[in-house]
Amino acid sequence: MKKMSRREVLIRGTGLGMGLIGVMLSVPAVGFLLSPLFTKQKLTWITVGPIDEVPVNQPTAMIAEVPVGTGYPTPPVKRIVYVVKKRDGPTLALSNICTHMQCDVHWDPSLGNFLCPCHGGLYDIDGNNTGGPPPQPLAQWVHRTHTDAQGRTILEIQNQLDEHI
Amino acid sequence: MIVSRWLTRPFKARMRGSAAWFEDRTGATELLHKGLYEAVPKKGGWAYALGSATLALILLQLFSGIFLLLDYVPSVTDAFTSLDYLRTSDGFGAWVRGLHLWGSYTLIFVIGLHMVRTFLSASYKRPRELNWVTGALLFFLVLGLAITGAMLPWDQAAYWTTVVVTNIPHYLPFIGDGIRTLWRGGEFVGPITLTRTFAIHIWVLPFLMFSLIGAHLYLLRRHGEFGAWVNYSTDPNEDEEKQIGERIRRAEPPYPTKRIARRYSAPRETVPFFPDQLIKDVVMSAVLIAVIFVMGLISGAPLDEPSNPATLSYVPTPEWFFLPLDQFLVVAPTNPLIAIGVFGVLGIGAALMIFLPFIDRSPERRPLRRPEVIIPALFMAFTVIVFAILGISRLYNL
Repeated sequence: MKKMSRREVLIRGTGLGMGLIGVMLSVPAVGFLLSPLFTKQKLTWITVGPIDEVPVNQPTAMIAEVPVGTGYPTPPVKRIVYVVKKRDGPTLALSNICTHMQCDVHWDPSLGNFLCPCHGGLYDIDGNNTGGPPPQPLAQWVHRTHTDAQGRTILEIQNQLDEHI
Repeated sequence: MIVSRWLTRPFKARMRGSAAWFEDRTGATELLHKGLYEAVPKKGGWAYALGSATLALILLQLFSGIFLLLDYVPSVTDAFTSLDYLRTSDGFGAWVRGLHLWGSYTLIFVIGLHMVRTFLSASYKRPRELNWVTGALLFFLVLGLAITGAMLPWDQAAYWTTVVVTNIPHYLPFIGDGIRTLWRGGEFVGPITLTRTFAIHIWVLPFLMFSLIGAHLYLLRRHGEFGAWVNYSTDPNEDEEKQIGERIRRAEPPYPTKRIARRYSAPRETVPFFPDQLIKDVVMSAVLIAVIFVMGLISGAPLDEPSNPATLSYVPTPEWFFLPLDQFLVVAPTNPLIAIGVFGVLGIGAALMIFLPFIDRSPERRPLRRPEVIIPALFMAFTVIVFAILGISRLYNL
């Protein structure tokens, strides 16, 4: 091995020292920055309420207090669950989160469609995207029902959607 | 010993002595002199005042922003409440918030005019290419600050701006959802979204911004103010080469710069920055700040209802500077394959803007003789305006 000059040793040492500082500081910084990618959302079941009164073929907005499940603890936020009952087929628990830019869609009886106020996205009664920019159907809340002591059908949702939007 | 000798001298001599000591130790006067008496082109000073006005408005944003931090709390539960308190109970708080909002509107407008001015006068040409590049990046930083600032009040307008803007990366293939999650601190908008946006707004973007401003001003002083082509005209009755040679010989620093087209090396007539240009700079800034001062008081900054993700009637409308992009979201295809093309078009547009000096390299400066850049620029401006008009007519049913 060639003998390094004093100057060369100093230059390489400086570079090595700065590199070491850089590596030491970037491990916690980058890890912290990327942590949301690896943090699981805390999932909970939320009781929405009885859905026996919901008329058939008429999407009905119910409000649920949904915990965000990410970040520091905050009070749950109100979210809409559109309960859609069909004469045949399962009852839907649609989210009203537009699959385009996640604005709040609402059922417009005169259009017979869900309408998004932001960019004019349209969905039919089953949540299928029928017009405007939305790339996919409305997602449903992950949900289940049970019958309570009075014989009512109670809808429960989880604070997550059944599709990635 | 020294102190008693100093005290026994006459007052004026004492002051002179102190000033000389301070100057010897710091070189402050010399520095000030260097800054104030530099030569700038004589004609068109009002147009050049747009640059200093941009700086003045950025400083206004810095100071009004620091004052807002005295009350504002960046938390989803308290952000709205703290601004509501600021509006109703904290003396001049509403006015300061009005200054910050109207300051941002004015800043976007003025930095746009400043860009149009440098574009038309072709000030970005050799050797000032990097003045343009840093300036164009500053323009995008200002837009970034404006949009992140609009998210912070966490009222309805801010909440839905946050939802839509943080969802834009979703359409970026492969890495898009990762970026969205990192910005939001989760898959959906939540408490971390606000703290991260706040950190971006008050530290990340301003840090980049002030670094770039330093570079922009350093480069301005290194190459001198170009001004406009009107400052470089020659007398058609005389030998042009001789006139230009004469001009370069007489030029004051920092003119001329080496190895550039001789014709545009040094302006024909210059004036000292102080007081000839500075008075125009100050008048321009004073007029703009007066407008902000009045609008901040009489119009102030609006605060909607508190954020509510369970709304069926609220119609989110974007800030005016975001209208063209919002309309673009309406028409842009959302198919994942086409989305690459959509981001590509936006990216190419931004890249063309930033790297303009490396595309338009001819020494020609007169706007009418540069149709190859003026026409595409007009087309881009036209597209933005059409999208803005379409957006307005869609949202306000005009």
